Amino acid sequence: MKGIAAKKLLTHLVIIALVFINLVPLLIVLSSSLRSPKNMTNPLNWFNEFTLESFQSAFTRMHFMSALWNSIVLTSVSVFFVVVLAAMAAYPMARIRSKFSRFLYIFFLSGLVVPGQMVLIPIIQMIKGLGIPMNQYTPILMFITCSLPFSTFLYTGFIRSSVPEEIEEAAHIDGCSMFRRFWQIVFPLILPVTVSVVITQGVWIWNDYFFNMVFITKASDAPLPVAMLGFLGDQQNPAQWNVLFAACILCALPLLLAFLALQKYFVGGLTMGSVKG
Amino acid sequence: MNSAVMKKTMYFFVLPAMLFYCVFWIFPILKLFQYSVTDYNGYVQSFNYVGLSNFKTLFQEEILGVSVKNTLIYTFITVIFGNIIALMLALLLNANIRAKGFYRSAFYIPTLFSAIVVGFIWSYVYMPGDGLIASFLTKIGLGDVDTNFLGSYGKALYAIIAVDIWKNIGTSTIIFLAGLQSVPYELQEAGRIDGAGRWKLFRFVTLPMLATSVTINITLSIINGLKAFDYPFVMTNGGPGTSTNTLIYAMYKMAFTDQLFGKASALGIISFALIIAITAICVFTLNRKEVSA
Repeated sequence: MKGIAAKKLLTHLVIIALVFINLVPLLIVLSSSLRSPKNMTNPLNWFNEFTLESFQSAFTRMHFMSALWNSIVLTSVSVFFVVVLAAMAAYPMARIRSKFSRFLYIFFLSGLVVPGQMVLIPIIQMIKGLGIPMNQYTPILMFITCSLPFSTFLYTGFIRSSVPEEIEEAAHIDGCSMFRRFWQIVFPLILPVTVSVVITQGVWIWNDYFFNMVFITKASDAPLPVAMLGFLGDQQNPAQWNVLFAACILCALPLLLAFLALQKYFVGGLTMGSVKG
Repeated sequence: MNSAVMKKTMYFFVLPAMLFYCVFWIFPILKLFQYSVTDYNGYVQSFNYVGLSNFKTLFQEEILGVSVKNTLIYTFITVIFGNIIALMLALLLNANIRAKGFYRSAFYIPTLFSAIVVGFIWSYVYMPGDGLIASFLTKIGLGDVDTNFLGSYGKALYAIIAVDIWKNIGTSTIIFLAGLQSVPYELQEAGRIDGAGRWKLFRFVTLPMLATSVTINITLSIINGLKAFDYPFVMTNGGPGTSTNTLIYAMYKMAFTDQLFGKASALGIISFALIIAITAICVFTLNRKEVSA
């Protein structure tokens, strides 16, 4: 018995050491953000001051509330459309077994390998050509598009493996139309994938700076990562390190809180496509 | 399948997604092929067809070779090290101990940070003089070690690769852990009774059961590596010199800084071919392995 206890203790110690190494950069950032902007003592003497001065400065200078609101709007609208479009698209791909259906599946999935930076100029031309205005909502189009490959992949796999066709046949006999069958029977049954899509796609959309940076020109329209970018690149009015560190924490805080509150769903959502196969 | 229930009209459900996908993704990709044989600059809407001269110049210049080499190094190291470290962490976290969930979350936290923030934090970690690593080395009396990682031709690429691994390790670890939890305990027990040692147990019982998570993790990290753009963009601007130019970063710079969109498109086509080829080969090999395991 003693041997097992000792072994467990050792495992804990090894893991704690690794966790510590892994999180040191973030802990230093946290400790520095809790100092006043003028405190330039060695950051390694961490947590030697606790004040919210740097946070206050970062909060006003990056217009945190408006940036947060912009992030929330961009992410929630995009994720809503991703869920609707991807779930619908996956339905026939999962249910019809034909070469064409197989082709569609591969066709959507293959979009995953193309980086957005590569096709940016033709995309901008396309948007201008269609007369779509370039404003703070334009990135939503790209978030939806770029999320389709992975989301349709997840939905197709799940509908195929976990929604029995018999249920649908029964509904069909009861005179349920295809449209209602999908929204009222299939869609509620695929809720676990919807959670997974919301989390995996929501995190990247929330954190994306690239499409936002390209399409959003007004500072007041910027979501959090772009506000951070503007803050870092402000040459005329450079911020002190501690204020920048506070901005880093503020930028990550909403997702960190969401993660703490919804941990179970995050972990389940990430592993959705990987265990079923 | 009951074709009276699963009618062909079901395909209408694909239309909305297909519309977005074709207009904002597929069509722009096809445009890239057209621009690759022009001298288009990305702004003025008039251009001439110049045949394959963009490709010819690219093959004569150094930048193509350098960025292909950097991208391959980037991909290779993130795939191998990222996955080995994640697998070891997962094995460690799969032990029968308390606070597992807490430890798992601790490794996952960096994944939640935007690449902008991660890039900034690590620029500080690597900063010579007052940076985290530099001040730590000074404190333990190794102050004269050269810590200018991002400013060094030889080290900058590896420095940003380490950042990429740090950021993504949480996701891979969680996927491996889920795979490990699906290995039935009886199977391990049976192996142990048959006298299999630790390594044999891992190699012949655990690893085959992990096949799906290995495939997913390796495929995702290959695609992520070949598309690498964030850290050269945020941390080094491709420098010093061209030492951290990845394919996609080189292409971005060619298109937006040098305003040579025709040439950038040609580079895009080459990258595209390379990404597709490597991904396809890997997916094919992994799938075959998975079946035989």
